[in-house]
Amino acid sequence: MSNNIEVSVRTINDIPVIAIKGDVTAVTGAEVKTAYETISREGAMKIGCHFDPACYINSGGLAFFIEIASESRKNKQTVCICGLSDHFLKIFKMVGLTRCFDIIDDPEEAMKGGCG
Amino acid sequence: MKKVTEFELPTVLGSEKIAMEEVSKIAKSMGFNKDRIEDLKTVIAEACINAMEHGNKFDQNAIVGVVLAANDNSLTILVRDQGNGIDPKKIPESVFTEDGFPKVDCGMGMFLITNLANDFFYEQKPGIGNEVTISFYLDQ
Repeated sequence: MSNNIEVSVRTINDIPVIAIKGDVTAVTGAEVKTAYETISREGAMKIGCHFDPACYINSGGLAFFIEIASESRKNKQTVCICGLSDHFLKIFKMVGLTRCFDIIDDPEEAMKGGCG
Repeated sequence: MKKVTEFELPTVLGSEKIAMEEVSKIAKSMGFNKDRIEDLKTVIAEACINAMEHGNKFDQNAIVGVVLAANDNSLTILVRDQGNGIDPKKIPESVFTEDGFPKVDCGMGMFLITNLANDFFYEQKPGIGNEVTISFYLDQ
């Protein structure tokens, strides 16, 4: 059985946004982390993360976001999250990730305002 | 408590989705609301992943057994593996650092199970494996 994920990066108002579709797991989450690291190396201080509402995220996937939270804190970057379903927003809150990321509703609007 | 279904999963990441679909169907027919069905799906997925990873140590010859049982007001999930067991002391009390930020690599699956379910019970069965029993109540 496969774990499928589609990760792409687009730019809105000069802010790179990682678009995530599919399953974020211990296996596939590495793709999100790689996208974050690539953007970081290019010097981005504001980064968006746009989830498809049908995304499935398990503890293995959450671990990658905890790593991103830790690195972005060290790098003094702002990471905005949008598109999470109500359930995964609750999970992000439960594990403390909403303290690390800005949670926004609409990526287009938020990026116009500078992400957060 | 009446057994509703029983099935086995291979020790292959991703197969937990079969359990998620099963629990979702049963919970819906019992009248659980959408939020609790999402909680049930997360909990059964994490219990199966733990069984594969910490119990069966990803041994593809080992299986994960799942039993779903119900009565009028509760749904119980039982997940069994065939491993030597995990140290219950390693189940985290908190997934936060002292300053309130999430810890990296700290037993997040077990944290989610214990925080989303109404009841949780873990048992090591020497020579057989581990068994976790998780209950959700309809009125909570």
